[in-house]
Amino acid sequence: MLGTLMAFTLNGIVLGLIYAVVALGFTLILGVMEVINFTHGVLFAYGAYLAYTLQPFLGFWLSMLVAPLLVGLMGLAIEFFLVRRVYGQNPLFGLLLTFGLSMALEEVIRMIWGRVGRSVTAPAFVAGSLDLGFMLYSRYRLFLAALAILVILAVWYFLMRTPYGAVIRAGAFDAEMVMALGKNLPWMRSLVFALGAVLAGIAGVIAAPIWSIRPPMGTAILMPSYLIVVLGGIGSFWGTIIGGLIIGISTSISVMIFPRISDLVPYLLMALVLIWRPRGLMGEKSILEV
Amino acid sequence: MIKSQSTAKQRAFPGLFRSIHPLAVMVIIFAAFPAIPLIGRFLSLGTEVVIWSLFALGFNILLGYTGLTSFGHGAYFGIGAYGAAIAFLRLSHSLWLCLLIGTLVGGLFAALVGLIVANKRGIYFSLLTIAFSQMFFFIAFRWDEFTGGETGLTGIDRQTLKLVNLAVNLRNPIAYYYFVLAVFALCAVIIWRIVHSPFGRVLRAIKENELRAKYLGYNTEAYKWAAFTISGLFAALGGSLYTFLINSAYAFGLEWVQSGNVVMMTLLGGGTVSFFGPVVGAAIFITCRDLLSAYFEHWLLFYGLLFVIVILYVPTGILGAAAKLRKKHKG
Repeated sequence: MLGTLMAFTLNGIVLGLIYAVVALGFTLILGVMEVINFTHGVLFAYGAYLAYTLQPFLGFWLSMLVAPLLVGLMGLAIEFFLVRRVYGQNPLFGLLLTFGLSMALEEVIRMIWGRVGRSVTAPAFVAGSLDLGFMLYSRYRLFLAALAILVILAVWYFLMRTPYGAVIRAGAFDAEMVMALGKNLPWMRSLVFALGAVLAGIAGVIAAPIWSIRPPMGTAILMPSYLIVVLGGIGSFWGTIIGGLIIGISTSISVMIFPRISDLVPYLLMALVLIWRPRGLMGEKSILEV
Repeated sequence: MIKSQSTAKQRAFPGLFRSIHPLAVMVIIFAAFPAIPLIGRFLSLGTEVVIWSLFALGFNILLGYTGLTSFGHGAYFGIGAYGAAIAFLRLSHSLWLCLLIGTLVGGLFAALVGLIVANKRGIYFSLLTIAFSQMFFFIAFRWDEFTGGETGLTGIDRQTLKLVNLAVNLRNPIAYYYFVLAVFALCAVIIWRIVHSPFGRVLRAIKENELRAKYLGYNTEAYKWAAFTISGLFAALGGSLYTFLINSAYAFGLEWVQSGNVVMMTLLGGGTVSFFGPVVGAAIFITCRDLLSAYFEHWLLFYGLLFVIVILYVPTGILGAAAKLRKKHKG
């Protein structure tokens, strides 16, 4: 029993870390551009599908580099040609624009890769399982967790310790002032959107071997992203990570204890947190509320 | 931006119709629908249009008049549908009672969610409405004993309606179409009254400047809650009517795609500029969806792109664009 609980908790942490990477990209775009990006999930799916297509040719490492970059380029194009045109307008517009676009992009997945599910095999050097002392655990999942942590730390460093990150954070706080100070806001926004897309892409690539790769996988990961952002607090970096872990672990453990309502548990958590802390666990009063 | 409603309605219905109330014109057009050759054959599509028109018209109280973007009203449509279906299967075969129960149950859920979201604004409001609607979807999807889970609820049947000494067999699709139309006409009048009442003016004031409305002494959160709940009630009534159209209820009805659809309809027709926008939008949207899905395998591609095109090129909707064209034409 305890062993099973351990295994489910570990699974939950791995899941939570993937969720956190996806949600980081989502909340970054939400915080800086004030756009609820519905295409975020489908970009995650593109990451996984590109990994599926590229790995036979490029191998694991190279495709892990190329696939997220391609997804980043998609994000850049989406921002540059479409999303850019609705900034500062009724938030409804960004919502519906990306909502429609995500439906169209999901259909493009069906046109290219078909409706049936695909699978990606984990690379050989992390195949099998590792003896952790108290239990055996999949090497790939541990490797995946390590990668996700690395990505999260890299994003943290970029946002909190580099001048670019400072501009982005300032842009989320007061875009007009950032422009007045001579920073190129349109480019910064494109960059942030691309970065968010890259994060979705990375998560898609590294999750591919343990995920069922099907066209609606993007829509399926979008909801946890919302919950995480609401739970952790909009615009909070560590809130997003903590939110991701909470949703991941609670989903995984509820699958073990009461499988029938496992989908529901994250929502109940969100409702509880909202009643207790209306802005989420680590949320502060933000510009999004006005 | 709903400016003066009286000028908007005159612009929307020029010439011949000017002396008749625009609501009456709308109902007459719908009433004539089954008689139109060719198009009139697609009666269930027509009924669906009327139901979605009702849903969208009520939804516009929230979106167009109060300026709140709920992305979760599909849930109340779906809960209404289940409410009516469960009432039919477990309680009573009376159509009136089932519709009433469906409407009240859906409205109750909207009222509860409204309590949590009414003090939220902007994107945060949308984010929360999405999350709650998806929560209800999962409940409906998993609660097999009550909602039938994945398979949904079937075996619902329209009973004969007794009006004084007249028996109307609603199993006849035409009879049901006119029944739905009658309900819709009644609701349209109510919604018209709501948005043109002092209450409706306060909603518009909230849309223009909530802070100012607050300083004028209005409890804006209570008004927002009321708008949320009222639109939820109409959504649930639409859902209840829909249950009796397809004689079944599915969890799919609660999905967020439905919520997206109603927002799109409202916007597409021009709900932000005209009272009748949602109706025009529903008619065009449902017809487009039906045509696309009939002729293309990958119709969702075009369907999705339709959203993009509307947002980028006709953001005020068809009636908004028409008004602009007319203005240009006049000089």
